[in-house]
Amino acid sequence: MMPDRFEPDPVIEAYKKDIDRTLLRQNLRRTVAERLANLVAMQRLAEEACRSGKGMVREP
Amino acid sequence: MTDFEKLIGALVGAQVDFLVVGGLAATVHGSARLTQDVDVVYARSDDNIARLVAALEPCRPYLRGAPPGLPFDWSTATVRRGLNFTLTTTVGDIDVLGEIVGGGFYEALVEHTVVVDLFGHACKCLDLPTLIATKRAAGRPRDLEAVAELEALHEESE
Repeated sequence: MMPDRFEPDPVIEAYKKDIDRTLLRQNLRRTVAERLANLVAMQRLAEEACRSGKGMVREP
Repeated sequence: MTDFEKLIGALVGAQVDFLVVGGLAATVHGSARLTQDVDVVYARSDDNIARLVAALEPCRPYLRGAPPGLPFDWSTATVRRGLNFTLTTTVGDIDVLGEIVGGGFYEALVEHTVVVDLFGHACKCLDLPTLIATKRAAGRPRDLEAVAELEALHEESE
C-alpha cells in the first residue's frame, strides 16, 4: 500500500533544495526522547518570543 | 502551549487505541519543525470511543477556532456522529481523527506503525514512508515544506 520510494514531485523537489540537511543529520543522531525534549524546548522558546513580542513598545 | 506529555499520557492512561500522526510523528522521525498540537488517529469501535471520550473529558475539549458558547458536548454520541475533531483543551490542542486522507482508518494504518517511547509510554507512531504518503495525498500547500523535509529525512536515513 505504501511505497518505500516516492515518484519525485517537481514541486516537492524545489522545496527540498532549501532544507537544511545538517539539522536533519543532527536529529537523526539523537534518540526519540532527545527529539521530543528538543521539540518541547523549541515550543517554550516560541512561546517566550511571542510573549516578549506582545510586550514590545516601539520607540517614538 | 500544548502539553504533549499530558495529552499522550491521558490517552495511554485510558487505554485508547490510537496512533500518532502529523507533526509529532514527524518529530519522532527526526523533523526539525515546530509543531503546536498532537494529531492522533483513533479506532472507531464503540469501546474505544468511550475510552477516548473518558480520556479527554477532564481536559474539557472544545472545538478549536469555534466561537465560545456553542452547545458542543464531548460525548460518545458526538464522536459517533462525527469523525475528525480539531479540539482545544485545558492542556493544549489535539486533533482526534477517525480517518486520514491517503491512509484511511486506524485498522488500515496500524500495519504501518512503529512503536516508540513517547514520554515514557510505548505508543504507535505512523512510519515515515506512510507519513510521507498521507501528507502527499492530503495535497495541502502548507504541507509542501513538511513533505520535502520528511522526504529528505527518508533519504538521509537510507
